[in-house]
Amino acid sequence: MLTSFLKRGAITAVAFAALSTAAFAQVNELKIMAPAAPGGGWDGTARSMQQALTGAGIVKSVQVNNVTGAGGTIGLAQLIGAKGQGDQLMVNGFVMVGAILLNKSPVNLSQTTPIARLTAEAEVIVVPTESPLKTAKDLAEKLKADPAKVTWAGGSAGGTDHILAALFAQAVGADAKKINYIPFSGGGEALAAMLGGRVTAGVSGYGEFEGQIKAGKLRVLAVSSGKRLENAPDAPTLKEQGIDLELLNWRSVVAPPGLSAEQTKALIDTVEKMVKSKEWQEILKARGWDDSYLAGAEFDSFLKNEIERVSKVMHEVGLVK
Amino acid sequence: MDTLLSLLHGFTVAFEPAKLLFCLIGVFLGTAVGVLPGIGPALTVALLLPVTFKLDPGGSLIMFAGIYYGGMYGGSTTAILLNAPGESASLATALEGSKMAKAGRGGPALATSAIGSFVAGLIATIGLAFLAPWLVEVAVKFGPWDYFALMIVAFVTVSATFGDSPLRGLTSLFLGIALGLIGIDKLTGQARLTFGVPELLNGVEVTTLAVGLFAVGEAFYVASKRFRDPEEIIPIKGSLWMTKEDWKRSWAPWLRGTAFGFPIGALPAGGAEVPTFLSYSTEKKLCKYPGEFGKGAIEGVAGPEAANNASAAGTLVPLLTLGLPTSATAAIMLAGFQQYGLNPGPLLFAEKPDLVWGLIASLFIANVMLVILNLPLVGLWVRLLAIPQPWLYAGILVFATMGTLAVNGSPVELTMLFAFGFIGYLMRRYDYPVAPMVVGLILGPMAEAQLRRALQISLGDPMILLENPISATLLGIAFIALVAPFVMKGLNRFKASED
Amino acid sequence: MTNDIRAQGADKPALIVGVLLLVVAFLVGYDAAQQTIVATYGLGPTAMPYVVACGLVILGFSHFVVAFRGGLPKPEAADGKALLWIAAGLVCLIGCIALGGGFVIAIALLFACTARGMGRRAFAVDLAIGFVLGLAIFLAFAKLLTLILPSGPLERLFL
Repeated sequence: MLTSFLKRGAITAVAFAALSTAAFAQVNELKIMAPAAPGGGWDGTARSMQQALTGAGIVKSVQVNNVTGAGGTIGLAQLIGAKGQGDQLMVNGFVMVGAILLNKSPVNLSQTTPIARLTAEAEVIVVPTESPLKTAKDLAEKLKADPAKVTWAGGSAGGTDHILAALFAQAVGADAKKINYIPFSGGGEALAAMLGGRVTAGVSGYGEFEGQIKAGKLRVLAVSSGKRLENAPDAPTLKEQGIDLELLNWRSVVAPPGLSAEQTKALIDTVEKMVKSKEWQEILKARGWDDSYLAGAEFDSFLKNEIERVSKVMHEVGLVK
Repeated sequence: MDTLLSLLHGFTVAFEPAKLLFCLIGVFLGTAVGVLPGIGPALTVALLLPVTFKLDPGGSLIMFAGIYYGGMYGGSTTAILLNAPGESASLATALEGSKMAKAGRGGPALATSAIGSFVAGLIATIGLAFLAPWLVEVAVKFGPWDYFALMIVAFVTVSATFGDSPLRGLTSLFLGIALGLIGIDKLTGQARLTFGVPELLNGVEVTTLAVGLFAVGEAFYVASKRFRDPEEIIPIKGSLWMTKEDWKRSWAPWLRGTAFGFPIGALPAGGAEVPTFLSYSTEKKLCKYPGEFGKGAIEGVAGPEAANNASAAGTLVPLLTLGLPTSATAAIMLAGFQQYGLNPGPLLFAEKPDLVWGLIASLFIANVMLVILNLPLVGLWVRLLAIPQPWLYAGILVFATMGTLAVNGSPVELTMLFAFGFIGYLMRRYDYPVAPMVVGLILGPMAEAQLRRALQISLGDPMILLENPISATLLGIAFIALVAPFVMKGLNRFKASED
Repeated sequence: MTNDIRAQGADKPALIVGVLLLVVAFLVGYDAAQQTIVATYGLGPTAMPYVVACGLVILGFSHFVVAFRGGLPKPEAADGKALLWIAAGLVCLIGCIALGGGFVIAIALLFACTARGMGRRAFAVDLAIGFVLGLAIFLAFAKLLTLILPSGPLERLFL
């Protein structure tokens, strides 16, 4: 126990030295916060990063800690409190943008140091196979005629699915405030409502509906990505159908505010090394995540753009006043 | 016949020594982690997912199955021995189970729950193998209105069974429903009753309330009357094993519990709580010794435990046939499937029969292993109660807070645990039943969400509840259950006045 | 202590519960009244709170009636000291976690205080037992499950 004690002390000392001088763009110890309970999506990303970073020998020791609550905004507040600490990352994603607004959170993502976007998943709009709706245009017509009659099944209120439904209504010129969106807990329940023919259309990540789509029980009206999906080449994008809308459910990592340029660079370098590692690529494949690495200034402006877009639509739908 | 052949083939897959080993490891890990309150089977599987990453698909899924079933066995052990129901599905088990344990009948309680789980698991797994494709057709037909009606049935039957004072029972139930309002409203995303505390946005965790009211409240209560009326815990009184009488009183509840658990578990939004509540109230009604309920009636352990396990097998029905993850654990198992590029769903049975039938066969094997592993442990577990009382209760509190700390260790959550513990103490002191509060917290939000979904689909027309045959029937049952006791009482009084 | 109040005709605990229920009902109703966002279709987020608030009001008044008709069951006197010890243990736990003292110390304090409340008179010994127990749990969680329980300076030595 004593040796382990000494070893820990030594590592900590080295880490401190590294931090205080910040001379090399190298991170020896890293804490990754998953702002959700163990077992969820963000937790999965954090633990996969841990696996890749230590597996590829990029960082010696990686710790994952979970801070639960309020759509991740409690974790966010904690991260923002850790000003200037260059050994911390927090996993976040598109959903957090909406949660911040919905929860009237006193802190927001623009207070963090953006590091990189890691993965993204396209959303799909589907209908049961028996549905008379064949294309996104058909759905748009029906929605314009009477928004109340189009019931949407998807995930939590203010989440990615809900926002896509609202943006869709906006893009086709229907009243976004009048959409009849029904949040279900978990993908399973929404899927059951679709299969039972209880709702008009369903929105979710492609992966969640994949089995049913391949089995011919659900028909894809559109995918929300800019390009068609590799594993579903028959499903048209929204843009192809003349609806100017693109949306990805992305996940990213951010760092505490108040970092020096060197500290930021060290973190970006570390994440970039991880993204390029064999270990990370294997995890992406196994988990069915799409690589959408985007770092630095580009990610920064992407993030700003998303925040603006989400905030606008949430006000219009009446989720936020 | 095809099914039988496939199943036999599945057994040849699962009986490979390596697979058996994975299954054993899974069962062991699942039991060990499942014993911790607050860490249910879902979290156990999630945490152990990386461990299985390196195994082949068949092996790792078989290990999952073991962890899943093992986690549920572990959960009932804590509920019975420590009165700390670590997950909502073992709440009903704790009610009678902990009373039995204190009276020296912990052995039979654990045994009836282990064997009941085994019987239920066995029947439900057979159901899974043979009825899945048919059952799932029915299950997806359930709409929000039907779920709402089902919740109402559960509400009515359960509230009829709590305590001898309707006023105190209802007070407890309503406070539970009020607690269920706290947090983000599922349908509009608005915060309710959070008073600006962000930690409250996620709502009150069922395990925090259950562990607080049951385990912490009990510790306070026992300590408060230590001098006047010292509680006596008898580790073993009479037989450590189930007597002939126990068997006689257990077998029917096992079967009835299974009959509740499997079909409701197979419903996409059915869950494990409703069947355990229904089983508990049914057993209380049917019990030949109604006076024993509340003091440790074996039927009250046998039924709900069977229902709990049967519903677990039930959730595999939509998962395997449709790829619908209908519980947290199922969602994690789905992630496990996907990590090998498998997509559960209509095609899985056709594309990967080895895997599916191997999994189903290993569920049988996991069940057998669990009984073999758990029955000898009963003697050991029960001896835990022989620990001197101060250490026993100190240990229970450590155990109770540990689960909360691991999942959400914020001071706010811990303060809630403390507050619920003290409320639990006061409720015991003035003879308010604590269970209805937890029932209210579990069923309240579910019923509200389903009702609102139903009305959203019908654009506000409440007739939708009566127009659909399933919901109309269920509401009819609820109405009869609500009115029948009053009518009976009235008739009796009428008869009495005639005499 | 509750017995002497009987003389005045009303059962004090029942009255207090009644008042508390009305307070909760008020909070639930007030919060619902503050909601600004309504559902476009079907029931809004305020329907259920109002139903619950009404139910609580009825239950509250029923308690007032009960207070004048026999009241709640009369409890025996409680051992206040024992309660205080356990409460102190829980407060220590919460404080220790909130102030960053870490899991092990928090558990040691909880264990020792509870054991004291249940009648043991060996605080130091129990503290040591709790410490070892906490450490064992912490290491088991960290190493076997990769779940990091709340850590203070002490825990960091082992990570």
